[in-house]
Amino acid sequence: MSDNPTRAAPGRRDLMKASLLAGTAAALPWQSVDAQPAAPPRNRTMILVWAGREGRWVDFELWNPYSLGSNHQNGPNLIYEPLAYYSAFADKLHMWLAESYEFTPDFRKLTIKTRKGITWSDGKPFSAEDVAFTLNSLRDLGPKVRWGIDVNQAVEKATATDANTVVVDFKMPSPRFFMFMSYKYDIGVYIVPKHIFEGQDWTTFKHFDIAKGMPVTTGPWRVTAASPQQKVFDRADKWWAAEQGLAPLPQVLRNIWLPNAGEQQTAQLLITNQIDAGTGMQPATFPTVFRQNPKIITHSGQKPPYGYRDWWPIALYVNNERPPFDDKDVRWAISYYINRQQIIDVSYLGASEVSPLPMPDYAPLQPYKDHIKDLLQKYDTLAFDRRKGDALLTAKGFAKGSDGVWARGGQKLSLDIIGVGSTGPAIGPVLVEMLRRAGVDASISLPPDFDDRFQKGQYTGAIYGHGGSVSEPYNTLKLYQSASVAVPGGHQVNFARWKNAAYDKIVDQMFVVPPTDQAKLKDLFHQAMEIWLPELPDIQIVQLHHRIPMNTTYWTNWPTAENPYVNGAHWHLTFPMVLWNLKPA
Amino acid sequence: MLLIDILKRCGVFFVIVWLAATLNFFLPKLSGQDPVRTKLLQQAQMGGYVQQGIDEMVKVYEVRFGLDRPLWQQYLSYISDVVRGDFNFSIANYPRTVADMIAESIPWTIGLLGITTLLSFVIGTILGALLAWPRAPRWMAWLMPPLWALHAIPFFLLGLILMYLLAFQVPLLPIFGGYSIGVTPSLTFTFVLDIIRHATLPALSIILVAVGGWALSMRGMMVTTMGEDYVLFAEGKGLRSLTIFSRYCLRNAILPQITALALALGQILSGAVLVEVIFGYPGIGTLLFQAIRENDHFLIQGIVFTVIVSLGLATLILDLLYPLLDPRITYKRT
Repeated sequence: MSDNPTRAAPGRRDLMKASLLAGTAAALPWQSVDAQPAAPPRNRTMILVWAGREGRWVDFELWNPYSLGSNHQNGPNLIYEPLAYYSAFADKLHMWLAESYEFTPDFRKLTIKTRKGITWSDGKPFSAEDVAFTLNSLRDLGPKVRWGIDVNQAVEKATATDANTVVVDFKMPSPRFFMFMSYKYDIGVYIVPKHIFEGQDWTTFKHFDIAKGMPVTTGPWRVTAASPQQKVFDRADKWWAAEQGLAPLPQVLRNIWLPNAGEQQTAQLLITNQIDAGTGMQPATFPTVFRQNPKIITHSGQKPPYGYRDWWPIALYVNNERPPFDDKDVRWAISYYINRQQIIDVSYLGASEVSPLPMPDYAPLQPYKDHIKDLLQKYDTLAFDRRKGDALLTAKGFAKGSDGVWARGGQKLSLDIIGVGSTGPAIGPVLVEMLRRAGVDASISLPPDFDDRFQKGQYTGAIYGHGGSVSEPYNTLKLYQSASVAVPGGHQVNFARWKNAAYDKIVDQMFVVPPTDQAKLKDLFHQAMEIWLPELPDIQIVQLHHRIPMNTTYWTNWPTAENPYVNGAHWHLTFPMVLWNLKPA
Repeated sequence: MLLIDILKRCGVFFVIVWLAATLNFFLPKLSGQDPVRTKLLQQAQMGGYVQQGIDEMVKVYEVRFGLDRPLWQQYLSYISDVVRGDFNFSIANYPRTVADMIAESIPWTIGLLGITTLLSFVIGTILGALLAWPRAPRWMAWLMPPLWALHAIPFFLLGLILMYLLAFQVPLLPIFGGYSIGVTPSLTFTFVLDIIRHATLPALSIILVAVGGWALSMRGMMVTTMGEDYVLFAEGKGLRSLTIFSRYCLRNAILPQITALALALGQILSGAVLVEVIFGYPGIGTLLFQAIRENDHFLIQGIVFTVIVSLGLATLILDLLYPLLDPRITYKRT
């Protein structure tokens, strides 16, 4: 009966109709529907563009900063308040969840007094139990989570002796532990609510359910919407810090974080006043933006360097394990071939500064730098002097071939440099040309696996920074330690792969000196630099600047050179300080 | 159609998917990069601080993701997971699952590329047919050069030009994103309008380029079809011009276009990645781009597998439905 017209198989017209309907239905971007929070006026809304990836937040569900995919830079820095904030610009420690702290004289025990009257956003009281739970959990989790190994190495146990007292027993003297826990730049331990995190697997727990009030926080910001497009934080009407007079209740009622889609897009959004702050931009972009919107400023106003010095001065790393760069004279020769001012002029259009040491020019570090002036005069890390470089290489048996390239035993002096991020492409080509003119067979590449290769020592030269000291020199010196006795099982960074037992010993000695004992630290710093400077494990080039555009159309009192209450990076852990300082225009 | 033919074609589909899935497993491994280490070091670089114990963390997560096991064991687990529709966790965004991430991106891509593909097909096919039709208005001949020129421009380049013109110079349309700043997704008319407004620039950059391709191929097929005897016969019969155009020429010339459309629809998940990237459109293209940049093996495998299946399915469906579209094609044995 297949010929029966009333029961025929679907025809072409039916098929096309069905396809059209199915296509239309599938084409609509059905997504989960959240309640639309009432929008505050634009002049009480602060909108910024930062990070994300290719214009989307992939991590919008991740509010537990200890999970592998999470990053405090992308919003959790507003949620987890610290025991203390440290502003390197103001050189000031702002006690926060902690009211005070005290070490025993041997630095093996730390007593922290937490403030009273603090509650989590779900109404549960914040207490010393939360701090002890955080530290003990990190100790137990060790390598499974961020900061786990740091805490595991130092902490024997943390005990809440009463609602507002935590006693931390250390495995070894740990005079910097409270500073380590405090928020500055990207370092600091996130204190989590015990009643939420207890019993959870910290590696998989997302801490995200807006309907249930998660993420839970002691801070004034509530996550009211989160999607690949944006993260929205609304200010609560009450905040313990405002009630206790530590900070004003932020005047920003809503803070919206948009993912970065590119510098051109950010510039346009700034020009049209659609955003109030953006991801760092290249120096060449700023004059255009200033011309089209005079309300845009940077940390240095509308003048170069269009930003502030970050804690990450940039160097040319050479692998100290690879000949001929295992020879300090070759490293010094390379240093003499570098005209840093020319790099600044060409790569940064004059908007940068040289860096004589692998630490930033911050005020708290200045006394230490002054203390080694004699050494810096003798070992001028900024000197550009080709003749000195030539003399060093000649003394080491190198000679220039007919192609003008230095060679020894038939081997050319080759330096393949790898770079990453914005610094590699900015500095690399200029540096390479400079070295080539001096007779070094240099090249630059920007491999996608830079980080992997750099960390494993699979490189000859690399352009990279130093995340070390901001207030005293220990953390920078530690970057060059090849072994440590003071920190049993300690893990070394040592990207330059330089080894010096005497240097390691001095840095170990510094480890047990409290940061407040400046006289002792200065003495040890001098001793360490007496070894470091003649060896020059890596070659210093320039300071790194955060060039963050800030819009004064709707908001004023941004952190600037005239008003440097903190650095202005919205990705840093100290960003809440900016939010409570902003004033409507 | 015989049942055996259907089964054969389904069998071929599964073999193709299996082969592609196998390649999909091994290709990301060829890079030799360690995805966990890459993730941790990228985070460290963003923060400027390399925390202690990266190596220990790498080991812990390699065990968790099964990356410490021999390759053949990883392969068997992968195939077994794929069969169950489980693409594991995203390494770079752990503990987010690959399935969740793909699910939240697919509607955007289908919405943008599905509609633009269909629109460019319809516009391009009609234009192409008219360009070949001798009784079409004369001014239509002027359309050919710009169509050729636009077709030669890559999507993303035209996207940048349109962005400069319609978002920077004359700020008519939004620069990036799927919807406006501060708006929360909801099933309202306003929100749908907002989505359409945001999709206009990326859609235009795709349509303007793709229309030329459809038009050019349709024009060629129309010219061939118009030379067929049955068209001459229809003209001889004195049928109306519109009838000859639509029923005799267009209908017969369009068949290869439909084949191409089915394949194009299968490719929408992998298409126009750069357009999505430029416009910050939250689709599958940007997700794949991120996954490759972060060396996120599981996410790459999940997305590519989805693309493979969608392509395979499109081909299979087309294969099975072709006899319905064209009565001359039959699977009946002669």
